Amino acid sequence: MVRRLLSFVRSCSALGAAALFVLPLYFALVASFGESGSPPSGTVQWWPAEFHWENYARIFQVVPLWKYTLNSLIVVAWAVPLTVLTSSLAGFAISELRPPNAGRLVVVSVVLMLIPGAAVWLFRFQLLVWFGLLDTLWALILPVVAASSPLFVLLFYWNFRRIPEETFDAARMDGASPLVVWRRIALPLTRPTFVAVVILAFVFYWSDFISPVLYIYNPSGYTLPIGLQLLNQLGSTNWPILMAGAVYMTLPVLVLFILLQRLFLSDRSLAELFDRN
Amino acid sequence: MAATPTKTSSRSLYRSKLYLLLAPFLLGSLVLTVIPALATAMVAFMDYNTVGPPEWVGFENFGRLLRSDYVRISLWNTLIFVALAVPLRLLAALGLALLLHRRGPLFGLYRAAVYLPTIIPEVAYALVWLWVFNPMFGPLNAALNWLGLEGPAWLAEPATARLAIVIMLSFQIGEGFIVLLAGLQSIPRSFFEAARVDGASAWQAFTRITFPMIAPWLMLLTFRDLIMSLQNTFTPSFVLTYGGPFYATTFVPLLLYEVAFDFFDFGLAAALLVLVYLLMAIFVMSILNIMQARGVVEG
Repeated sequence: MVRRLLSFVRSCSALGAAALFVLPLYFALVASFGESGSPPSGTVQWWPAEFHWENYARIFQVVPLWKYTLNSLIVVAWAVPLTVLTSSLAGFAISELRPPNAGRLVVVSVVLMLIPGAAVWLFRFQLLVWFGLLDTLWALILPVVAASSPLFVLLFYWNFRRIPEETFDAARMDGASPLVVWRRIALPLTRPTFVAVVILAFVFYWSDFISPVLYIYNPSGYTLPIGLQLLNQLGSTNWPILMAGAVYMTLPVLVLFILLQRLFLSDRSLAELFDRN
Repeated sequence: MAATPTKTSSRSLYRSKLYLLLAPFLLGSLVLTVIPALATAMVAFMDYNTVGPPEWVGFENFGRLLRSDYVRISLWNTLIFVALAVPLRLLAALGLALLLHRRGPLFGLYRAAVYLPTIIPEVAYALVWLWVFNPMFGPLNAALNWLGLEGPAWLAEPATARLAIVIMLSFQIGEGFIVLLAGLQSIPRSFFEAARVDGASAWQAFTRITFPMIAPWLMLLTFRDLIMSLQNTFTPSFVLTYGGPFYATTFVPLLLYEVAFDFFDFGLAAALLVLVYLLMAIFVMSILNIMQARGVVEG
C-alpha cells in the first residue's frame, strides 16, 4: 500500500517537473498567435482566443528575416558536414591508436572542452582580422576546423572504440589506408552517432548568437539570432510578433529534437552510451 | 602479387597515417583555442587596441582593474550568480535524474521535456523569458496572481533581475541531466538487490551506493558548470536587460564584451579574463583540498 502510494507520488511529481520545463515554451507559442500590437490579457492563457497567423508573415516585413535565414542556412550547410568530417576522422584516429597516445588525446579533448569560449573571444577576433575573414560568414564557420566541439570527437571515439578490432583487420591486410577503413567500414557502423552529431552541430551553428555579435558588422551578413535581437530592439513590447519570431527560429530545432529524443532519451540507448565492454 | 611489405611496416605506415586524420582537429584546436587562450594571457600585460602595435605595460592593466567600480560590480554580480546558479542547476539535474530514471513510455517523454529548453536557440529562449517575466502581461505573474500572490517587477528591480537570470538558466540543464542519467544507469542493479536483502532503507541505498557511484560525475559537472558560468550569462544579460537595471546584471562576460568590443581596450579585457581565471582556479583548488581532506576523492 505504502509502496503504491509512493509510486503514485513519484509519477505525479515527474509529470509536474516535466510540465514546469515545457510550460514557458508553450505559453510563448500561445502568445505568438495573439493580436499584434494589442497587449495580452494578463491572465494565464491556455489556448489562443483567435489564431493570428499573419504574425508569422509580419516578422518578415519588420526585419529582412529571409536574408538572415538564408545566411544562417549557408553557415549550417557548410558547418554541419565539415564538423561531421573533422570530428569523425579525429574520433576514428584516436580509437585506432595504441593505449598511451589514445588516452592522452582523450585527456586533451576533455581539457579543450573545459576552455570556455569567452577565453578566446579577443584573440580569435585578431586571427580573423589577420586572415581577412572578419565580417564574412567564414568567421562563423571557422570553428569547424577544430571539429566545432571536442565533445563531437569524443562521441565518435566512444562509438568507434566499440567496434571489434577484427572488423577492420581484413581491410588492413589488403593494405587499405585509414581513410578507406574509416569511410567504407567504420562510418556506416556508427549511424546513430552520425545522426546525433549532425543534429547537435546544427543546433550549435543555428543558435550561435555570440559569434555574429562579435565578428559580423555588416547587416547583409547578419544571421537569424541577430535578426531576432533586431526584432526585439524594434518592438520590444509587441509580444505576439516577438514570440512568433522565437517560434519561427525554434521550429527547425524542434523538428530535429524529435529525432534526437529517440536517440538520446530512450531507455536502451542511454545504457549503451555508458556500456563498458 | 608484387613485393608485399612486411606486416610490421604496413602496420606502422597505417598508424602514421592515422595522425593525418587527426591533423585538422589538433591543428584547428591549437590555432583557434590553445594559442588564442595563451596569447590572451600575454595581452593582459600589454596596452593593445587592435590597431596600433602592442606595448608592454607590466601590471598596469591589473591596477586599472582593481580601481574600477564596474569591475568590482561585475565580479560581485558574477559571484552571486555562481553561488546561486551552480548549486541550483546541479541539484535540479540530480533530482530530476533520480526522479525520471525509470523505464516506461511516459518517463521517456518526461526526460525529453526536461531536455527541451536546453536545445532552444539562446536568443529565442531569452525572448521567451523576456515575455514570461513581464510583470504586467507575462504568464509568470499571471500565474502568481491566480495563486493569490503578487509577483515582483522581475527585470525592472536589481535583485529580482539577477534572480530571473538564475531561474531561466536553471531550466537549461539538459547536459548535466543526461550525464547523471547515464551515470545512474551504469550502476549495476545487483548492488541495490544486495542492499535490499541486507534490509537497507532507500535513503541508505542512496547515500551508500548511488551517491558514491555518481560523485565523480557530480564533481566533473560542478567544475564544468563553474567554468561555463563565465559565459552562459552573456546572451540572457545582453537580450533581457543589457546589464541593467543599475548594473545588476552586468556579469563578467558582458563587461568583457564592452571593454573589448566597444572600447577596443584588449589589454584591459585580457587582464579581466586572467583575473577571473585566477580567482576560479583558487576556488577550484580549495574545493578539491576540502574534498581531499574529507576523503571524498583520493589524492
